[in-house]
Amino acid sequence: MTTPTKTVQPYRSALHPTRAGFGRLLRAEWTKFWTVRAWLLVLAVAAVVTVVISQMGASGSTTGGGPPVVVGPGGEVVNDSFRFTHRTLTGDGTITARVTGLKDASGKGLGPWTKAGIIVKSSLKQGSPYVAVMATPAHGVRMQWNFTHDTAGPSSDLAKAPQWLRLKRLGGKLTGYASVDGEKWTQLGEVGVGGMRGTVQVGLFLAAPVHEIVHRSFGGTSEVAGSGQATGTFDRLTFQGKSTAGGWTDTDIGAPTADGPNSQPGTTTVSPTGTYTLTGQGDIAPDENSPDTVQMSFQGVFMGLLFMVALGTLFVTTEYKRGLIRTTFTATPSRLKVLAAKTTVIAAITFTTGLLATAIGFTLAQKTLRSNGFKSPEFPDLSLLENPALRAVVGSAVLLSLVAVLALSLGVVLRNSAGTIATVVVLVILPQILSFALPLPVAQWLLRVTPAAAFAVQQGVTYYPQVQHNCLPESGCYPLSPYNGLAVLVAYAAAALLLAAWTVRRRDA
Amino acid sequence: MRWRGSLHALHAEWTKLRTLPSTWWLLVATVALTAAMGAAAASSLTTRVCPTPTACHEDTVKLALTGVQLSQAVCLVLGALSIGAEYGTGTIRTTLTAMPGRWRVLASKAAALSLLTSAAGVLAVLSALGLARLILPTPPPVDGAMFRAAGGSILVLVLVTLLGLSLATLLRDTSGAITLGLGILYVVPVLSHVVNSPTWQHRLQRWAPMPAGLSIQATKNLAGLAIGPWAGLGVLAAYAVGLLVVGGTAFRLRDA
Repeated sequence: MTTPTKTVQPYRSALHPTRAGFGRLLRAEWTKFWTVRAWLLVLAVAAVVTVVISQMGASGSTTGGGPPVVVGPGGEVVNDSFRFTHRTLTGDGTITARVTGLKDASGKGLGPWTKAGIIVKSSLKQGSPYVAVMATPAHGVRMQWNFTHDTAGPSSDLAKAPQWLRLKRLGGKLTGYASVDGEKWTQLGEVGVGGMRGTVQVGLFLAAPVHEIVHRSFGGTSEVAGSGQATGTFDRLTFQGKSTAGGWTDTDIGAPTADGPNSQPGTTTVSPTGTYTLTGQGDIAPDENSPDTVQMSFQGVFMGLLFMVALGTLFVTTEYKRGLIRTTFTATPSRLKVLAAKTTVIAAITFTTGLLATAIGFTLAQKTLRSNGFKSPEFPDLSLLENPALRAVVGSAVLLSLVAVLALSLGVVLRNSAGTIATVVVLVILPQILSFALPLPVAQWLLRVTPAAAFAVQQGVTYYPQVQHNCLPESGCYPLSPYNGLAVLVAYAAAALLLAAWTVRRRDA
Repeated sequence: MRWRGSLHALHAEWTKLRTLPSTWWLLVATVALTAAMGAAAASSLTTRVCPTPTACHEDTVKLALTGVQLSQAVCLVLGALSIGAEYGTGTIRTTLTAMPGRWRVLASKAAALSLLTSAAGVLAVLSALGLARLILPTPPPVDGAMFRAAGGSILVLVLVTLLGLSLATLLRDTSGAITLGLGILYVVPVLSHVVNSPTWQHRLQRWAPMPAGLSIQATKNLAGLAIGPWAGLGVLAAYAVGLLVVGGTAFRLRDA
């Protein structure tokens, strides 16, 4: 005989079973955020502080009218002064010359970008379009046109062997060549440059940019001007083409004022054997020394960042502190999904707020800067919807949201708000402060490898490789290009997120 | 009787600080970070920067003490946690039940913190300077300026700890105090560099607590400083003590 077995129905929830979809998880995390009034307040304060400090920074910045600026064909501010031995050319033609030497004429050392070569320029006006091939002491043979374009040719050492250069104009195209023997020619490039129709000026040129030697210490920075004058020698000058002039004329393009401190008029001498010796100063290159009106409009981001760090941290550490994290993980056992939802929500919130704040802050700061004397053409008007302004505005918002994600991830790892906030702020802000004071190589290294590199995205000035420039952190220069700088912060945030994913799965809550 | 009471309060606060593992971690971090960063900064002085000792423009003492800029953040956290954690966990109510004299509680907290931080500060500064002497080919001379920089750096660490304590007393919250404290310490100096106005740069260098306080570390080129060494330390002290008085008043007047 068997005892009747009593079957007990296990408890079943009356609710319809659904998988916890990611959408619901996002909604849960979003609800956790917006129902905490203090966090909404912090978010609002972050936006307001960003705008107000950007505005204060802009109103504190003024500029006095400097000397009139030269604007290149692309609308950028340029340096355009050099010694020019030239004649006119109508229609097609070729100019060939051999650079035999380049030496310092000021006794302060030869700058690495001292240029001696041949040039085709649309007129004698400063800032007019040009194409040039040249020999330099430290960067070999180059072909450059319209200030911002630069192509490297063969490397050369003028002290050992002279360098042949040739420019050919055919139709609307200009072609540059270089050679070591005058027989075998290497083509450097072929360009069609606008504004070079009809009669143009061709000839030999010499430009010697002032190169600055930096003395830097905790007491301050001083820049000492190096060479500003050089002598170049040329021979085997040949010219084919139609010219209205019978011979060569000499002009100092952009001649410095006669009473200026560095006014050394250029000279050109011709020996009976056909050796041309040109002495001159100046440079044909973009000007990178004017203040960056884009970067000056984002000073509030430094302060807004603090609040984003606090929000990102507290969004997870409060759950650990109050024990809510256990409820969260009971409801959604998949911890990685919770982490993903939290990251998405905090990134979206901080990005939206940051974008709003930086867009408003930028627009207001630009207005203030314009009324403080930063006027076009020296400081071109910036549109919010065009680079570099667009890149800086969106990039700053991305920066703010990445910093929040970094804080959130570290918060998961450390489970403690004090340590997390201090670590993230120290990582992002301290390198900047140290870079003002430490020796230059270390300072630049710091701004490459720490999350502070991301502030490069706020730069509006393009640093061209063909211009010697001392990248000084105290004048707002970051060694990395805008996107590469932001990528450093992305790497930090991604690494922290991976670490967080690993720890949150391995540890008990 | 009064003295006995103060001693008891100090003893209680000392026990609280002593028995927290985080206190010792933070103090060890202060010493380690100051020494490590000082050593790193000293070794950054390559021949490319300083070809010969006579042509060297760097202030080697200040360079060796660079680590203070980092470890002061640790001290800020230590100061903020000492009362912020009590608010976070509710211990503050037990504390105030046992010792109703609120000024006395705050003063003993400040005293216990100062004691610990200055001890850690002495170790930190000595090890940073010692390492720099080993690393640098021509060590900086041991003179009055160096003693001023070393002693001043210890005081900076103590004052920043008190700043953390006063902010946390005022805000009754650790995270808020640390965020605000780091903002005052670090963000203001960054702004002072990026603002394109010499007048404002000078003002911020003079009146922001961190640049002013750290001017005590200068041993060279004193004329180039925005504010003199002792006056600068005075600015930082004014912030710390002023906020401590404000925080203490709020502490005295508010419910816990």
